[in-house]
Amino acid sequence: MRPKISYILAFFLLFIGQLGVQTVWAQQVMQLKGRVTDKNTGEAISGVSILERGTSNGTSTDENGLFNLSVSAGARIVFTAVGYDSREFIPREALVDVSLSPTSNQLDEIVIVGASIKKGDLTGAVTRIDSKKLAELPVTGVNQAMEGRLPGVLIQSNPRPGGNASIRVRGNNSIQYGGNPIYVVDGLIIEDAVNTINPDDISSIDILKDASATALYGSRGANGVIVITTKKGQGEGQINYNGWYGVQEFSKMIPYMGAQDIFNLRLDAFANQYMDNNPGADRQAYIDQLLADGSEAFADYEFETYRSGRSYNWLEEITRTGKQQNHSLNFSKGGETGSVYLGLNFTDQLGLVKNSSYKRYGGQVNIDQQIKPWLKVGTNTSVTRTEEGLLADGVFNIAANANPLLAINDQMNYLRWANVESTDLYNPIRSLRIDGNNFLNRVMTNNYINIQPIQGLNIRTNLSVDLRNQQTYWYTPKDLGESLRNSTEGTANHRKDETLYWQWDNAITYDKSFQEKHNLSALLSMSVSKQNYNYNQVNALGFATDDFSYKYLSGAFLRDRFELGSDFTTYSLMSYIGRVNYNYANKYYATLTARYDGSSRFGPNNKWGLFPSLALAWNIAEEVFFNKEVVNLLKLRGGYGIAGNQNIPDFAFRSLYRPVYSNNSVTYVSDGRLGNEDLKWEKQKQLNIGLDAALLNDRFSFSFDYFHINNDDLLMQRTLSLTSGFSNTIANVGALQNKGLEFVANAAILREGELKWNFSVNISSYKNKITKLYGDVTAIYNRGGFTGVEIQREGNLFLGESLNNIFVYQFDKIAQVEDMERLAGMDFGGRTVRPGDILPLDRDGNGIIDENDRFVVGNKDPKFYGGFSTDLAYKGWSVNAVFSYNYGAKALSYLYEGLMGGSGMYASHEDMNDRWTPEHTNTNIPRAFFGGGRYGAGDTNWSVQDASFLRLNALTLSYTFNTSLAQRYKLNNLRIYTTASNLFTITDYKGYDPTGGDDYPMARMFVFGLNIGL
Amino acid sequence: MKTVIKYSLLLLILIISSCSNFLEQEPQTALTEEQVFSELDNIEPLVLGLYTSWRNTRKDRGGFVFLLGTDEVQQGAYQVLTDASQAGLDRYNGFLSPSNNALAEQWDSRWPVIAAAARVISSLQFNEQDPNRKNILLGEASFIRAALTFEMVQYWGDVPIIDVDRFDELGTARQPQEAVYSYIIQDLEHAIAYLPITQSDKRRATKGAAEALLGKVYLYAPEESGVRDYGKALEHFEAVVNSGVYSLVANYADLWSPAYPNTNESLYEFQFNNVWPDNNQCQWQTGSRAVALVDQYAYFGGYDLLVPTPYCYADRSAGGIWEAGDLRRSESIRYDFTYRGVPTPLQPGWGGDELDPHVKKYEDPRTDGTLSFWNSGKNIFYLRYADVLLCYAEVLNELGRTAEAVNIVNTTVRQRAWGGNLPPEAHWQGGMSQAEFRTNILDERMRELCFEGLRRMDLNRTGMLTTHVPARNRWAQQSNTIQSYHRYYPIPLQEIRQNEDISENDQNPGYANQ
Repeated sequence: MRPKISYILAFFLLFIGQLGVQTVWAQQVMQLKGRVTDKNTGEAISGVSILERGTSNGTSTDENGLFNLSVSAGARIVFTAVGYDSREFIPREALVDVSLSPTSNQLDEIVIVGASIKKGDLTGAVTRIDSKKLAELPVTGVNQAMEGRLPGVLIQSNPRPGGNASIRVRGNNSIQYGGNPIYVVDGLIIEDAVNTINPDDISSIDILKDASATALYGSRGANGVIVITTKKGQGEGQINYNGWYGVQEFSKMIPYMGAQDIFNLRLDAFANQYMDNNPGADRQAYIDQLLADGSEAFADYEFETYRSGRSYNWLEEITRTGKQQNHSLNFSKGGETGSVYLGLNFTDQLGLVKNSSYKRYGGQVNIDQQIKPWLKVGTNTSVTRTEEGLLADGVFNIAANANPLLAINDQMNYLRWANVESTDLYNPIRSLRIDGNNFLNRVMTNNYINIQPIQGLNIRTNLSVDLRNQQTYWYTPKDLGESLRNSTEGTANHRKDETLYWQWDNAITYDKSFQEKHNLSALLSMSVSKQNYNYNQVNALGFATDDFSYKYLSGAFLRDRFELGSDFTTYSLMSYIGRVNYNYANKYYATLTARYDGSSRFGPNNKWGLFPSLALAWNIAEEVFFNKEVVNLLKLRGGYGIAGNQNIPDFAFRSLYRPVYSNNSVTYVSDGRLGNEDLKWEKQKQLNIGLDAALLNDRFSFSFDYFHINNDDLLMQRTLSLTSGFSNTIANVGALQNKGLEFVANAAILREGELKWNFSVNISSYKNKITKLYGDVTAIYNRGGFTGVEIQREGNLFLGESLNNIFVYQFDKIAQVEDMERLAGMDFGGRTVRPGDILPLDRDGNGIIDENDRFVVGNKDPKFYGGFSTDLAYKGWSVNAVFSYNYGAKALSYLYEGLMGGSGMYASHEDMNDRWTPEHTNTNIPRAFFGGGRYGAGDTNWSVQDASFLRLNALTLSYTFNTSLAQRYKLNNLRIYTTASNLFTITDYKGYDPTGGDDYPMARMFVFGLNIGL
Repeated sequence: MKTVIKYSLLLLILIISSCSNFLEQEPQTALTEEQVFSELDNIEPLVLGLYTSWRNTRKDRGGFVFLLGTDEVQQGAYQVLTDASQAGLDRYNGFLSPSNNALAEQWDSRWPVIAAAARVISSLQFNEQDPNRKNILLGEASFIRAALTFEMVQYWGDVPIIDVDRFDELGTARQPQEAVYSYIIQDLEHAIAYLPITQSDKRRATKGAAEALLGKVYLYAPEESGVRDYGKALEHFEAVVNSGVYSLVANYADLWSPAYPNTNESLYEFQFNNVWPDNNQCQWQTGSRAVALVDQYAYFGGYDLLVPTPYCYADRSAGGIWEAGDLRRSESIRYDFTYRGVPTPLQPGWGGDELDPHVKKYEDPRTDGTLSFWNSGKNIFYLRYADVLLCYAEVLNELGRTAEAVNIVNTTVRQRAWGGNLPPEAHWQGGMSQAEFRTNILDERMRELCFEGLRRMDLNRTGMLTTHVPARNRWAQQSNTIQSYHRYYPIPLQEIRQNEDISENDQNPGYANQ
């Protein structure tokens, strides 16, 4: 008992001591002078804060890095500067030269499965982005912050407020199960919802890409690992504030046809159809008829609009200027016996579409304390709440594609074309009254106890918890089309999701150097984790009043139509890991890892899998024969290993039957999936070869990686003939090959003078190929569409082709009058082709256009992609630009295809003005037509788009106030900046954005921001 | 210090040893296959689920696919204009191909029910729980497998026989029709033996339903299969007629009133109501788009998937089927689109037939003014006594007992059609020849049973598909491409690609695998 109390007391005393109880001893005074320089460049650093530890006595360096301070003899002096590791020591002489290492170059530690590992010991493919780079871009999400920055990392933006950009590391390694990397936040593994993390709290992001690097997460690291390390208190106490305010607008709008053009298009479309059905009839007579009362084509209100010369833009009614603000305040302090970091964050965004909004409140606490010389404890804990204002589905699209002939009103329940009222086209102005909210509360905490019984031996236990609680609410008022269509008289939906994930890692590490040159480190670890997930959902119908929105379910009266739902699932994982790192004289490196993983997702006989990996590196520059004058770093790396994937639905090894309520009783119904007891781990064999080089004292540095991944026991859902009684099963079938190159270069083009210029560029490519499907199958078609069984253009799997292929007919030409004779004998499978229509190419020349004439026209994979950035600095000014690009990717724009239908009974793109007519035949735009039975815009590669682009992600102009000014206000740092994000995108893509998709245009934002350091 | 290490190691060992069950996670909200098939308490809800899945094949758009392309209905013009693939079902053109989606959907929706019924039948063999209950379940599973396999073999010809115990031998390959029918017959004989005469739960099949279905199997099996047997058909129809359980309801209109479900005329009907997922959405398909535009809650609104052919809606004088005084005409077909006193206008931009006569049998007045017609949910007949009587008469005619057959038609179905008093001019004459009877009964079946999903089978078994359809169906007439091979639908392309036991050469004749 007693020792326990004294430990606790000691902890408190130590803690209080840290927090600044000052003890001042009378001491001798000494005049300390010196110069502070950058360790790498040797240049002077201005504005370095110099403090006598435990006092308020301090100064800072001038423009030449010089300082002069009288200090007590024997006092500890602390040097801190933004962007550099702080240093502290007790000066023995009055004249000192101090060099500081830039933070980005620090060989710090990252926490991996409960063990703390030196980053330098990771021999695999790793890329990093540090807080300094992160700070350059005012973003609220982690993934956005990485766009264009890192080789091998492809980011697809999400234009929704608070939306999470999707991310792929090295393309696709699995076919259906798992494309997303995992995130490891201070040791805690999370798989999604990474947007709760405040980028301002992040110290560094490391992307682990090859098997050797990801080996420590073998059970889940097959698609890459993103290690996020949050900030730690360092040096003297600091207070930092970062705030910005931004205004948003849409970065691109589609050039829609106005009312007059639509009117003419429809006239043309109806007349064309009439002439097809009645060859030789009087076209003009028919047109006159269409323009007269009782028209088949136009409703009275359309004539009215047309004659008035007006055109209605429904989109303007539901959009607004977006606004976003972000404030982060953090406090930090650190020393020999521990550190503390507290970060607070608030983000508020009003989306570009009315009703869409996003708010985030977050707090991060990181504490480390050396309790005893042999015992260290710490925690990294964050608490976040997000509040999202949701927009009803389709509001944006319905408004964007509304009939420009239809006068804007908030009375009509459904929009119409002519008098065709579609019950799918809910009046978007009315739909804005749908009340939707999403609230997320999340606690992520990682807590460790580290015991160091003898030098070099560490025993560490980590307990991490991720608790997520999400609530989604909707209320659809009684008088909206949504309610009338389904007779719901008002609908309230409640959904609550809870995820509790915990992870317990226990590791023993031993580091030992012997005979000077042999450095050995060994790790033995075991880890268990479990996730419990549950949700419940209520859809209540029938409300007497809309006044209570979704808040009072008890008042709902359509009791027999209530819907209830819930589910509870659990999965668990267990791993044993052994790893040995060895290096000889920092010249030859070897890392051998073996892990043995078990997952509850596999059947009783196949739960466990063994995943070994080996990495070797040779630091050539350290060899005696090597001249380090010019080339100061040259390191060759090679690694081979097996990574595992178990990212399949729970219980796929069982055939499941669930109770379904129907006709007043319960029935048991299969979920369609045939259980497969033989399911086992997917194993990806990954090879990586890399080279790192640096020239002229790091002035130029390069890194190059080649990877080759063979995935054999690929987990796939295969569809079954329904005669089996099941529609699908999951099995280890198929094989996939994925290979690629990555290259990154950094250059400090100007670094000696006042004008500094840094340039960085990265380029990556990957190519995946399906090398086997199950059995002798050479193609697996993705079916969907209206009936669920039409072959889709995307998602089909073909042997020898990329996963991301596009499968369509080949566009031959727009049929012309002179082609008709040749086409008369063609079999178009029931369709017709007339002059002005799209004509597919009969690829096999058999006179029949059928499935055999469809082909893989290209891939959605880019041929190469990446980004580049440039930093120009002069005195306090700096201009920074970050670009990203993508070359050679193909894409489908469903939006554009829809707008090129040419019926005049739907919204249309201005390109349709260039359509084929008997007088204007030299065009690739098909004629107007109302009706079916022809090849549509989406059937051939006519519509396949080039999604190559060059985007200026961010252009920032900043000014950092010089030290003397900052000093006058007792500031460490004062910087103001303005950023234009997503300023322009050069692309031929016809939809909204080649990466952001077609649902919603991307936002362009102009930001003004302020950093204050105290 | 040493103690710390010791305890830490001890802790580690403890963790490792205590975690042996850590990776055993079983579903908490689903039953596994073993659990379901081992107990009657679980098999029973599974069988009820099969009834529901079977019922759901008659819901919504899918429920009308087999009706399209007949001589009693044709697709609405707007849908023909906008969906070429679906239009192929009426046009009998290149879109009626193995890649036709609407047909693949029908194929796909039935096999899982058949396969699950087969598994029930197989697992019940070894079940030693309550034998009485077990036998009823066996009868029901047999009935379900037979009913669905009967549809498959009628529409696709040779189809797989799903038998769990003979799976190694039969697999999922197509089997000759003769073998398929003998399985159906065997199943129905089991069903007749085990099913009770009445069931309080109306979802569940009865002996009478099995008996009538077996009669129909002997009548509907194609002659070339060698299974058609009028004598045996007669035997089973007589068993139904003489059972005394069934009778015609007096008023034909009552059959279509939601107030009278499950009458004595019903041998089996699919149970629906107005609440999803037990609504049938049929009115959404059969109603008029023009009415829907006027009022979303007008009970005869809809979206014109199918409308009656002129032959089916017109009077005799106008080349149709209707005789004066036949009450069935106005109960089956809607001619008037006045809603709440206001005539419905025809709108521009549509197909033009939105105010032509529409199917009325699925209208559900309960939804009027309060619910969308999407919620329509009257029960749908699978087997009703009028059908049995007409089949019975037909069998008698085929056996040379035409006079008896005429008498049955006059005294039952037609008598009711004129409200119980068949006027002399509406009487079928006793001297009718066998051939005349054949022609007349086909029209009579349309008058009595139109839109109830029987027409395609009737046209096929009488060989009249290629005669009547191009003459009476607007779209088939327009494309004029129907051929005799169209009596069977093509095997869906995806089935050929995914089923290892069916190859491209196994396609029905006349269809290219595209």
